[in-house]
Amino acid sequence: MRSKYIIIGGSAGSFQAITKILSELPKNYNIPIFLCLHRLKHVRTGFVEALSIKSKLPIIEPKDKEMIKNGRIYLAPANYHMYFELGNYFSLSTEESVNHSRPSIDLSFLSAAQVFKNNLIGIILSGANRDGALGMKEVKDYGGITIAQDPEECQVKTMTTAAIKATTIDHVFIVDEIINYMKNLQ
Amino acid sequence: MPLTQEDILLFISVLKSISNYDFTEYSIKSFTRRIEKILIDNKLDIEALINKVKKDPVFLEQIVKDITVNTTELFRDPKTWHVIKYRVMPKFEDKPFINIWHCGCSTGQEVYSMMILLNELGMLERSKIYATDINTDVMDVAKAGRYVYRFNIDYLENFDQVIRQNPFNFEEYKDVPYERYFQIDKVKDTISMNPFLLNRVIYKKHDLVKQSNIFDFKFDIIFCRNVLIYFNYELQNKIFGMFHENLNNLGYLVLGIHESILGQQAQKYNKKGLVYSKKII
Repeated sequence: MRSKYIIIGGSAGSFQAITKILSELPKNYNIPIFLCLHRLKHVRTGFVEALSIKSKLPIIEPKDKEMIKNGRIYLAPANYHMYFELGNYFSLSTEESVNHSRPSIDLSFLSAAQVFKNNLIGIILSGANRDGALGMKEVKDYGGITIAQDPEECQVKTMTTAAIKATTIDHVFIVDEIINYMKNLQ
Repeated sequence: MPLTQEDILLFISVLKSISNYDFTEYSIKSFTRRIEKILIDNKLDIEALINKVKKDPVFLEQIVKDITVNTTELFRDPKTWHVIKYRVMPKFEDKPFINIWHCGCSTGQEVYSMMILLNELGMLERSKIYATDINTDVMDVAKAGRYVYRFNIDYLENFDQVIRQNPFNFEEYKDVPYERYFQIDKVKDTISMNPFLLNRVIYKKHDLVKQSNIFDFKFDIIFCRNVLIYFNYELQNKIFGMFHENLNNLGYLVLGIHESILGQQAQKYNKKGLVYSKKII
């Protein structure tokens, strides 16, 4: 089996879901996970630390051209867009915000979809805008698996409902089901 | 229709054959993204874009400008500026002249940030500031030193963090007025840099892909932040070598906060927190 990659997008109301997911993944979880989360522009530091408290896996803000490694969780750095390149490495960009967002979930998901194709699982969580909906469509169109957090469970459901409208979602899951799904991928 | 890699490579080879611009070693992801945006903004498909740049040199220049425009802000990444203020600049305390190159200066916010810092440290008078970019449109904005207030309002907080506060001593607070450096006009929605800053900078067009140092001296500090992220690994390494050759001994290279020197050139530099110092080899 070819190696899998998981990309997770979230905004308002996703922090709790993310920390829960990270806290339940085992120490030996070896599928790389990319987090693309909206956060305040001027809150540059402290986010990795906050996410790391509950996580058994290392959380890293990747540098430009850094290689992707198994068993790591990568967080899109504040104020950059995060892309994936053929050859299994990251590249970053400071081009203008998309939908008022940098990092843009759509751009990261699109880039991941093009590179990882049917080895990619795209997960969209709670959020107050539509960023990520187009990205989820790209994940689907390139043959990946799409998962949306159940809007009923989301603190803010704009983002997941937009994604559900934009494309075929393979699974609408509550967070516990997302965690189970992720664990069973190994 | 999504662009294929072949489309992009064809466009790059056409540009190379009809102009001086060489994007061969650009990071393909960001380049593709720029082209997609250009196609949407100009309501063209890739074939029409290629035909138009072939026929219309003015349009070609405009497209190159659209590809090479980068966003920046005042005191972007305050942590980097703290390192410059407290770790780098003290090394130049006794140096009679300080040469600084802002390579890829874009719209100039970094240049003004550095001049403001130098002035607060009493070092501006003996500093020579050079700024280059491939894109003359963004450099015109830099020269004018006038920015849209509402886009920059968030970054005044950065000014406070770097210029007014001391992260190592929370009791210290210097009440430096913004007006010392720029005027805010909320009606016109502008932030305008004061004339004494505008006149201190020498701007030159420079193509980092093709040209080495275009000045006939070396530098104490080279800034090149969030520029090399658009280049591939090989080109990045070539440029790190060029910067090494053009830094004075004890000189510093400042990269973007999420950039690093990978591969062979890394041994030519000492990583000092968020900046690199030249290793003498």
